[in-house]
Amino acid sequence: MTSSLIALMILSLFLGCGCWLFFLWAVRKGEFDDIERPKHRMLDDDDVPPGQDRAD
Amino acid sequence: MKPAATPCFHCGAQIPAGVLIEERAGDAALCFCCQGCHGAYLMISGAGLDDFYRRRDWQETGLAPEIFQGRFHDSHLSRFVYPAQEASAIDIIIGGIRCASCVWLNEKIIARIPGVLEARVNYATGRARVRFDPAEVAPAAIFERIARIGYAPRPYTETAAREGARREQKDLLYRFGTAFFLTMQLMAYSFALYAGYFQGIDPEMKNYLQLFSLLVTTPVVFYSGWPFLAGAWRGIANRSPNMELLIAIGALSSYSYSVYATFAGGEVYFETAAMIVTLILAGRLLENAAKRRASGGIERLLGLCSGQAQRFAGDMLETVDSLELRPGDLILVSPGERFPVDGRITEGSTDVDESAATGEAVPLVRCAGDSVIAGSCNLTGAVRVACEREAADSFIARVARLVEEAQSRRAPIQGLADRVSAYFVPAVLALSLATFCWQYFSGGEFGPCLMSALAVVVIACPCALGLATPTAILAGTGAAASGGVIFRGGDVLEQLSRVTLAVFDKTGTLTWGRPELVEVRPAAGTDRRRLLVLAASIESGSLHPIAKAIRDYAARNGIAYPTGTGLQGMAGGGVTGRVADEPVALGSVSFLEDLGVIGIPDTIESPDGGMVVCVARGGSYCGTLLLKDRMRDDAPGLVSYFNRAGIRTLLLSGDRQVSAEKAAAWAGIGTGIGGLSPAGKAAQVDLRRLSGETVLMVGDGINDAPALSAADVGCAVAGGTDIAIETSDLVLVKPDLERLAGAHRMARRTMTLVRQNLVWAFLYNTIGIPLAMAGKLTPIYAAAAMALSSLCVVGNSLRLMRIRRD
Repeated sequence: MTSSLIALMILSLFLGCGCWLFFLWAVRKGEFDDIERPKHRMLDDDDVPPGQDRAD
Repeated sequence: MKPAATPCFHCGAQIPAGVLIEERAGDAALCFCCQGCHGAYLMISGAGLDDFYRRRDWQETGLAPEIFQGRFHDSHLSRFVYPAQEASAIDIIIGGIRCASCVWLNEKIIARIPGVLEARVNYATGRARVRFDPAEVAPAAIFERIARIGYAPRPYTETAAREGARREQKDLLYRFGTAFFLTMQLMAYSFALYAGYFQGIDPEMKNYLQLFSLLVTTPVVFYSGWPFLAGAWRGIANRSPNMELLIAIGALSSYSYSVYATFAGGEVYFETAAMIVTLILAGRLLENAAKRRASGGIERLLGLCSGQAQRFAGDMLETVDSLELRPGDLILVSPGERFPVDGRITEGSTDVDESAATGEAVPLVRCAGDSVIAGSCNLTGAVRVACEREAADSFIARVARLVEEAQSRRAPIQGLADRVSAYFVPAVLALSLATFCWQYFSGGEFGPCLMSALAVVVIACPCALGLATPTAILAGTGAAASGGVIFRGGDVLEQLSRVTLAVFDKTGTLTWGRPELVEVRPAAGTDRRRLLVLAASIESGSLHPIAKAIRDYAARNGIAYPTGTGLQGMAGGGVTGRVADEPVALGSVSFLEDLGVIGIPDTIESPDGGMVVCVARGGSYCGTLLLKDRMRDDAPGLVSYFNRAGIRTLLLSGDRQVSAEKAAAWAGIGTGIGGLSPAGKAAQVDLRRLSGETVLMVGDGINDAPALSAADVGCAVAGGTDIAIETSDLVLVKPDLERLAGAHRMARRTMTLVRQNLVWAFLYNTIGIPLAMAGKLTPIYAAAAMALSSLCVVGNSLRLMRIRRD
């Protein structure tokens, strides 16, 4: 009982560490440098330059 | 004729009668106020970017009227290009970005240039990173493209200071992220321990849980909490107990108590230590994000001076960096360019817009022998200028230094929580020591006595204290922002609530900053309409604000006028030309007298500091036009609010003393002081601060920038220059002065709330102190007191969000 609980706790700690490393990576890559623009970028259409058809 | 009902499709301005331009788009007719707007529309829609009109946000203020109109040279720009992923890249600051739509438009427009591989615009900083193929496109072409759609591009170089600020922000993010993840882990263990406290728990399991808690809390306290520990140490070294010392004592005491309890047996309070650190880091992160946009004001100021100049080398012109100009060099400044250095005109004459330097909206005529100020804009004619100072010593550079000095001189304000901590920390430490002594000398053992002493510190240093100020300020600034007022940080709210003197700038703040025609006085034998036709015709080709005011007035009154011929702007304040083959002159009284005009009455005088323009036809006087910079209607309302709130008012102006006094009297302001330079305004503000006043400065121009940063609270009005906005602590995003009154009310309300919060926080935790001193503090009381005080504080702060905006 106790040993399995401890194993689970260690497992959860590793999971948390994984998330934490992912976060560190994201900060390093500059994901948080601009937190305003991406939410607007999502709404942008891939509009078509003039002279081209939307079909292609 | 009435003005057209629909506003201009491009700029939204009311379209004056008679100048409507229509364009058919599908089945709808679009109306434009001028060819410029029509042209802009054609370009944007021609590029397939019609979406701009749907997504732009009229709530935001537009581009400042004086956009940078420099020319771009590859030789100058190539210095800023650096290699990036098998191509070249350049960082560009795009001036004039106000909303997400601007960002979108710039990204798309830049990306459409052939040879550009990628363009990303950062919304927060207004900075673009453009990756391009140097074989296909030159940087100057990119800059020109951006300038053509009306934004002001400038190459960007990262200075050491900015680099440092960015690294600090990342560092904070690392610390917060670490604290956040570890605290989440910790809470899981803590809940198991809570449950164990009520339902019973296997002692071995309890000890494991405590060990795991210790494992995750240690980095939170010593890595994430390091800024507080360092700050607390500085507080001790300076003998001034501060907020950080309180946080550090709170975190360290509960941490060390828990470490002791882990090994000696007992209940642990690791979550208290971790929560204090995590929540306060979150508050700092939010505050930093607001402050970051404020930095860089000085660099923008220097950016006003064009980076390059056309220097004469013999008869040839060469393009040089303005930093290379030396006193005595001769340069050519074309219309639309800004003067790169302070100098003296040697040849030619022109109208110069000195609003950047002096705040005065009306351009001045400058001819050979007159001096010109760096950063002011050459409007009408090409002139040769002899440099008198180096660029590093120019007027704008001096203003930048003034701003920098004022900012560094301003002492950081000591927050309410800091001041409370100064008394509270020593008191708690004394009580803790007393507890230890009392228990130990009345026969207690060392271990339990130390536990009781530490418990006093733990219970007395609540998270709620750390939360009291940040949550109230967050709610207050949030509510203010939705009402159109942006606070640059929480200390501004506190300062604003204590303001005792409000100082106003005149031009552009209390007035609209542009003249309007207010009265037409025809001479005997000329009718009103005829006079206006003459004036509008003769002024039909000029960019001068007076000319614009006259034309606007004529258009508003539905007066059609022919275009004058042979128009010539004359140095000395006037225009001559021919209207329907008759010689016509328009200008100041002295200008017409010099031309030998007859019949000018002696009694022409300007009302209330306005301007007088006379018109003559065929050598005889035929009337006078009176122009005035109109006052903002909302100014007296704001001043009377300040009067009721017991705040004194003062007006500082670069204008003449007489007009300063008149404007002050009109708005109800106590005193008006005129004839002040930017440094003079800052000196006046400093003088008031030295005599013990807390000064609020309201301004809009570059000439106000030193005063704005010298004041305790600087407030910039929307539509002002970027520089004014960036050197201020408080920004009104809509040109409505009444909002400042709302901001002041909000500031006072927020500070009341902070005080309430502090009282609550202390009250709850002070009840715990006697229990802790008696050694009777059970974990359940401790947890309840901490949770309750935090809830009270957060709930109380949220009340600010519910206040109805009026």
